[in-house]
Amino acid sequence: MKLIKIFSFLLVLILFSNCHREDFLQHNRESVKSITGTWKIINAVRNGTDLTDRFDFSRFKITFSDSSYIVDNSVPFIVTQNGTYHLDDPQYPFKIYFETPDNFTKELDFKYPTTNGVRNIVLTFSPGCSSNSYTYTFQKIN
Amino acid sequence: MRKSLNYIKRKISWQLTIVCAITALVIAACSITIDSIDQSDSINGGETMQSTLHVTISTNAEEDNSRLMVAVLVPKVWNARNNASISFTSSITDGTQKMTAVPVGTAAPQGNGLDWPTLINNKIGHGGNLLPGWEWAAFYSDNAYNVGGNINLSVTVNIKIKTSQDNISFKLGYVVAESVDGLSNSQYYNSAFPGCFRVFGTGDLIDFCNPQLSTVDPLNSLDNDIVTLNFDGGIIDNALANQSNIFLCAKGITTDGDTLNLCRQDSTTQLISQGIKKWSIDIWPRGFFNLPADKQLASIQYYFTDATGNVKVGSTGDGSTPFTYTFKCQ
Repeated sequence: MKLIKIFSFLLVLILFSNCHREDFLQHNRESVKSITGTWKIINAVRNGTDLTDRFDFSRFKITFSDSSYIVDNSVPFIVTQNGTYHLDDPQYPFKIYFETPDNFTKELDFKYPTTNGVRNIVLTFSPGCSSNSYTYTFQKIN
Repeated sequence: MRKSLNYIKRKISWQLTIVCAITALVIAACSITIDSIDQSDSINGGETMQSTLHVTISTNAEEDNSRLMVAVLVPKVWNARNNASISFTSSITDGTQKMTAVPVGTAAPQGNGLDWPTLINNKIGHGGNLLPGWEWAAFYSDNAYNVGGNINLSVTVNIKIKTSQDNISFKLGYVVAESVDGLSNSQYYNSAFPGCFRVFGTGDLIDFCNPQLSTVDPLNSLDNDIVTLNFDGGIIDNALANQSNIFLCAKGITTDGDTLNLCRQDSTTQLISQGIKKWSIDIWPRGFFNLPADKQLASIQYYFTDATGNVKVGSTGDGSTPFTYTFKCQ
């Protein structure tokens, strides 16, 4: 019995010794973050005050495809026209760039947290005075 | 006999312990007092507001490596962290001692992780200012000091703050403390609120001092912000004081002089109750007035009405003069 145990241990050791470190890292590679789909606002804060239940945000939707977005504006947002977008890093995005047809680029901090098993996008911006900061939390509709 | 002796010993021991504890507290204590404040009642917008605090610090024990902390309660639009210059002279230092804004988020000593502005607001308040656009800005002395025990220090704090062009009436406030004890006990700090300070600037008066029928939040905004219009029907006697449904009747004035009227009584204009005789409505002015993309709003004029639209209340408490709000940033 003792011999079998020793033999098993050695076998496992030999098997693992054949693995390259890169192989392990390969399996743990961070996935590419995809935000394609239509997103709605589930939380909105202005200068620290929660406006979610005080203002009708239900009419706003933004749809991301591979490289373009369509925005259905009925609330203040960083862009008012449809256009293209990209993330600064497909695996570890910290910035999102909105580019409008008139060649304006808006750069925003990009947060992509998982809350209760659901991915959210959190964007903070100032559509009016720069002293007024708005943080919208988006959740995918479909 | 032995029992009686033990009882007396125990009693004396307890009394000694209490006396020692009280003595230790007294020895460790120090006090900070703002004796007087030199400050004008008003200035013109854009000028530099100057005030001088005359402070006495009394120590009973030696305290090492301590920084002076001075906080000022000011309108946010002054951006005091960047526009204030604070320094002091004292009876134990040579020359002018500079102070620098405490970095945002820095925990105050013995403050359970809260930063200075939050801790001061929780413990001392905001001086009775009635609008939300105020802030505490905290400053530390650049140097730390070793202060001997059983001495009285005279400290003169000089504060200069470049004001904005805004037309403001505000209750300024001051707090003086130090970096070791923080606000952990009332003897370690002192606060003072010298009354209403007036800045004669441009635009609508932003009055933090006196209750008003209508206020707007944020104080500064553009037509692409979400703007909250508040109505406090209990401030003065008015025709809407006892109404159970209040509506907004507004006129938008564009930068090129066009006017857009929106005066109806439905769900899009109805105010939400915020308490007894207090009401508010949140509007996105561009959407509210259905503004074309190439237009911008310069200001709005508005009344509050009853459900029929016939009873109006404006800035004078009746229907004669509308409230006005000008869109602008700092």
